[in-house]
Amino acid sequence: MTVRSEWSSSSHKVCRAEIGYALAAEYWGQGIVIRAVKMAITEGFNEFTDLVRMQALVLIENKASQRVLEKLGFHMEGLLREYTIHKGTVKDLGTISNFLKVMESSRISLRPFKVSDADDFLKWASDDKVTRYLRWNTITSREEALAYIEKVAIPHPWRQSICLDDHSIGYVSVKPELGDDTCRAHVSYAVSAEYWGQGIAKQALRMAMSRVYKEFPCLVRVEALVEVENKGSQMVLEKVGFVKEGLLRKYGYCKGEIRDMFIYSFLSTDKIM
Amino acid sequence: MDSKLITLRPFKLSDADDLMSYAGDDQVTRSLRWKTLTTKDEALTFIKDVCIPHPWRRSICIDDRSIGFVTVFPGSSDDRHKADLGYAIAAKYWGQGITTKAIEVAISQVFKDSPNLVRLQAFADVENKASQRVLEKAGFQKEGVLRRYGYLKGNIKDLNIGEPNLLHVKLDPESN
Repeated sequence: MTVRSEWSSSSHKVCRAEIGYALAAEYWGQGIVIRAVKMAITEGFNEFTDLVRMQALVLIENKASQRVLEKLGFHMEGLLREYTIHKGTVKDLGTISNFLKVMESSRISLRPFKVSDADDFLKWASDDKVTRYLRWNTITSREEALAYIEKVAIPHPWRQSICLDDHSIGYVSVKPELGDDTCRAHVSYAVSAEYWGQGIAKQALRMAMSRVYKEFPCLVRVEALVEVENKGSQMVLEKVGFVKEGLLRKYGYCKGEIRDMFIYSFLSTDKIM
Repeated sequence: MDSKLITLRPFKLSDADDLMSYAGDDQVTRSLRWKTLTTKDEALTFIKDVCIPHPWRRSICIDDRSIGFVTVFPGSSDDRHKADLGYAIAAKYWGQGITTKAIEVAISQVFKDSPNLVRLQAFADVENKASQRVLEKAGFQKEGVLRRYGYLKGNIKDLNIGEPNLLHVKLDPESN
């Protein structure tokens, strides 16, 4: 398995990489390549921090490889004719597939929840993996989903749906404190497990930070509390530019347990990374 | 100072004059959220409307005369296991270990009075070294600096906004 970054002639950051792989024939057809490539994608995006796009080139006749890439979420972009010489013959290169780190950032948006989001909301809010570190319980029915949207999400000062092509795949919530403390707010978020590892939470948080500081002019500080074992969320926050301030022992009560939490903050003067 | 003379008890209306002597002092109220008291009437109202109904506010007394206060603000609903500690003492009693002693007494009382309490926290302005020393001596552990944590008296330069806060914590010794 190789993930190779391309160097551009200027000294711009390396944003693009190409993935290639092969597997011993005796192990074909067992889902091994899919699992391996999935791990490589995650690691590749973690190690090459400026990486935004991963691409793969596949010969037209290599249907198996095309299936692998499509299952992993690669999008076929086109057919490159007479693109390459493969073992002595000029070949059309079947597909350029690509795996965009942020799902083409223009496809991700933040907007208020709507009652019509109920089905999409139920898909991810019913997943224990997604709600594990949240204070609210997994949603189990469409009625609960509707009730939650109408009674909690819509009246909330700032709870927005993270949307992919206008379908809800998660949420970001910013809640200012009351009274004298409205200069301070608390942020929380979740993304559908199906879309983990693609920079969506990061992008949503960046958008949220930029917007809330404009919408709440007296806001000075946004803080986030993260459980010690939730490394994924810690990385997201750090990459967006949140600063870890300390470990608050036995601070948070979540789903019946009192837990230690890291406290992070992002100030109005901090830079979105 | 004989520390046996330091006691904690609920406030009484008759504490009004003594309360004025420290709560009317800008030096003392500088790091507090509440405004400096200016008249005896304000002191009486403050005792009646704020101190007495409070879930846990005690007068720090020497010979049963109020020289300061300790307050514990419990969290609500999901935060019941947590509470915030606040305190102040008349300037003439500073630097004599009185505050530390009072806090130690308060801590042991409040953990007994609140069976759900697991975590007691206190905030001290980064520049308020005296308060930090009190907390450390009383057994609090510094957990971090919270940047631009909050407004105090609308003054951006002074405390909280533009000034970080240290969060100190004391855990219930029984539950550890």
